[in-house]
Amino acid sequence: MNSLMIKALAFSAVLMGATIFVVKYMNVDLSDPVNLITMLGAAAIAFLTFGVAAKYINQMKTDKAEGELTDDNWDGIGEYKNELPGGWAYSFLGTIIWAMWYWTVGYPVNAYSQIGEYNKEVKAYNAQFQEMHKNADADTLQAMGESIFLVQCAPCHGETADGLSGKAQDLTARMAKDQILDVIAKGSNQLGFPMGAMPAGMASGADAEAIADYIVGGMQGQAPAAYATCAACHGADGQGMNGMSPNITKYDEKIVTQVLANGKKGMIGKMPSFNNRLTPVQEKALATYLQSL
Amino acid sequence: MFHWLEKNPFFFAVGVFLVIAFAGLVEILPNFGEASRPVVGLKPYTVLELAGKEVYKKDNCIACHSQLIRPFKSETDRYGQYSLSGEYAYDRPFLWGSKRTGPDLHRIGNYRSTDWHENHMWDPKSVIPQSIMPAYKHQFSNIADIETAYAEAVTVKELFNTPYDVDGGVALGSWEDARAAALAEAKEIAADMKNQDVKDLVANDQIPEIVALIAYMNKLK
Repeated sequence: MNSLMIKALAFSAVLMGATIFVVKYMNVDLSDPVNLITMLGAAAIAFLTFGVAAKYINQMKTDKAEGELTDDNWDGIGEYKNELPGGWAYSFLGTIIWAMWYWTVGYPVNAYSQIGEYNKEVKAYNAQFQEMHKNADADTLQAMGESIFLVQCAPCHGETADGLSGKAQDLTARMAKDQILDVIAKGSNQLGFPMGAMPAGMASGADAEAIADYIVGGMQGQAPAAYATCAACHGADGQGMNGMSPNITKYDEKIVTQVLANGKKGMIGKMPSFNNRLTPVQEKALATYLQSL
Repeated sequence: MFHWLEKNPFFFAVGVFLVIAFAGLVEILPNFGEASRPVVGLKPYTVLELAGKEVYKKDNCIACHSQLIRPFKSETDRYGQYSLSGEYAYDRPFLWGSKRTGPDLHRIGNYRSTDWHENHMWDPKSVIPQSIMPAYKHQFSNIADIETAYAEAVTVKELFNTPYDVDGGVALGSWEDARAAALAEAKEIAADMKNQDVKDLVANDQIPEIVALIAYMNKLK
């Protein structure tokens, strides 16, 4: 063994030592296969560094250039007519065969698509979401509704749902008096309830005032005579006859889904449609949250 | 032949360039041409919307807002369908932006309305308490540059064949027609607003920047 080999061995030992040091003192968890493979790789690199360096340095010491030269000569630099090294030649042939496969099958069939990955992710997530929340309990719906509200609704209705002093609907109450008067005067045909459009001017003057006061007051006590007109569609109790028309006493699930699907333009301003932005479970959760306010 | 190439580095370089350029041509160009075609149903901007786009550029909205929704679930949940290149076919230039200090605006028209923009541009903190966006009150009194917007529309129509004045599309016509159309559009928006100064200006046939900007925001869908 000559001095060069000893130096290469020493260098290799330093690399191995460094690897062991890292494993021991930097809390590397070798039960994780990724870490284990990485560390084995580091050891292999240290060993190969020693082997390859020793081989070529030895070869440089003893090798002599021999063989037949080609006719080409570039300013005194020539080229030997050597056979191609076997490993190199077979790899080259291999890459040609691989390229044929890649051109015809590999790329066209398996090409990466960002949209494909996106579609897969969304599909998997939606399936998991549906499975997880098939029979969601009230607490889950309440929590889900709150987080949906904070992301999707709070920018306009405010984080406490109070409508930011008149900039959007105050969701802690059903309707204010001037809103009721406005809708009685103008009618409404926006929400797509089975009962259809509400005509404009069903009541006016003192009758409309009495109706508005009665509804704002939570429909307590004796209904004013004019309310009979409203009761024909909204029901004597104002609940909207099981989803046939809007519930005017509270935000039930039906009115939440109808407003989300159609949007609504009232005296405050316009709420855009949120059609297809929420799943049915999410809409139910949102209704649960709104009712708890 | 190759021996000759090896002796002439210049022509060798030209040969290498041609081979690589050819690969680029066949792989990049067809896909690029396909993707940048306008999506079905895409209409060019009206003159008022173009004026709003100019306000968007002038007040440097692009410094904090992007207009490009990437195909990640977290983004499409918040902003809606991911963006397609064909949707920007009539954007000259597109306003993708590269910074999101504020949210993405590419589909803002789907989930915000005229009255919200009015409150928000006057005083962002009045609707979003944590907002760090500055107020843009000057837009309520500055007059939008409809003439330049019309000139821009005519230019892209003549130069790039942007489909104005086609059946079922956006009408451009003469300057008088375009001005009347922009005013009518502005009046519709002003009717949904509450600021009395803005309403007065529009009633006097002047269009404040905020109206043009809201027209542009409502178009982004």
